[in-house]
Amino acid sequence: MIRRARWRQVGLWFIVALSLLACWQISCGQNRAEQRGRELFESNCAPCHEAAKLDLKKQPPKLEGLFQSKTLPSGAPATDEQVRKTIIQGIGTMPAFDQRLSEEDVNALVKYLHQLK
Amino acid sequence: MNLKKLLYLGLGCAVLFAACQHGARRYQLRGQVMDKNVATNEITVDHEDIPGFMQAMTMPYKVKDSAVVQEVEAGDKIAAEIVVANNGNDYWLEDVRITDESGRKTTKAPAPAQRLAAGERVPNLPLINQDGKTIHLDDFEGKAVLLTFIYTRCPMPNFCPRLSSQFARIHDNLEKTPEAYAKTHLLTVSFDPKYDTAPVLRRYGLAYLDNDASGFAQWDFASAGPSDLRKLADAFGLVYFEQGNQIAHSMDIVLISPEGTIVKYWSNEWTAAELEADLRQQAARTTPTTQTLGEGRSR
Repeated sequence: MIRRARWRQVGLWFIVALSLLACWQISCGQNRAEQRGRELFESNCAPCHEAAKLDLKKQPPKLEGLFQSKTLPSGAPATDEQVRKTIIQGIGTMPAFDQRLSEEDVNALVKYLHQLK
Repeated sequence: MNLKKLLYLGLGCAVLFAACQHGARRYQLRGQVMDKNVATNEITVDHEDIPGFMQAMTMPYKVKDSAVVQEVEAGDKIAAEIVVANNGNDYWLEDVRITDESGRKTTKAPAPAQRLAAGERVPNLPLINQDGKTIHLDDFEGKAVLLTFIYTRCPMPNFCPRLSSQFARIHDNLEKTPEAYAKTHLLTVSFDPKYDTAPVLRRYGLAYLDNDASGFAQWDFASAGPSDLRKLADAFGLVYFEQGNQIAHSMDIVLISPEGTIVKYWSNEWTAAELEADLRQQAARTTPTTQTLGEGRSR
């Protein structure tokens, strides 16, 4: 009876440990994806969109809350597809990132932009 | 499981979680010095990827400690810290350490060809403009021309976007004085002809002309075949080369007289007001005869 209880306790510990490990893996995986998105944002978007004042014809808009509005600064619908298109083709004075970012990079960036609030 | 064990477990998870995060707006740079400019306190570095800030490329950086610029030489391998301030608007190098001097004096940035001197005539090479039309620099004889080089996908706000923005400012100002507008021409030449086709240049130009296509009569956006482009770049001292999926390049602006000769060059230190003043001054030299000639030749 005592032995069975001990085995049950060991099993419980094992399940708890496995669950924690899974949570940690998921969390780190999400963080890695988020970190990739953030790195791409900082090296490709922030130099223009986060700068205080640039010597440019038009000040690039801030991107916080991009997906919380129904429309993008261009007036187009705030959808993943539209943002992806804007990144690849550029718009107005924003340069195209065509052939510079991979599809995976663009997806990571769009995902990160969703988190910018 | 008692409370103490649960606390330890929670603490462990928190530490693991924190280990996956990262911070600050200082980045480590490793690369090789290609050139230095003591006067502007800059060094040009061919650097590796800087995760979170920039892809591998060659570009000039201001250095906080001017003694470092005196000390380093082309070919030195360095490690340094890039400090990014003002929301990415300003950046400079700090804590520059030479890690390897063995390449000293054996490495140099692609040397610019001997550019044309003031007074020399500009080459009359064929360019294709935003309308797909072939144009030549001679077409603008009789007008003062301000020429610069860009590529439309340039992501660095202080490089090509700044050049085009300041040309747009000059264009808008000139438009207010019809006499000066008629005697001047702006010419933006792309050194990325593979991507910057006529339709791409037209779209790019319209963004800087507030979607008013009539502005193309005074401001052309053009490119050329690779061979002619190289000749044009060499004539004006432009250095450009593909690096990864970007194009490393110098910034060059040229003022051409109404007679088609070199007047002046600018690289890094300039303002739109200075460029405009010198352009207007050249245009004011235009005689009625040459003006008519120029107008007849341009579109």
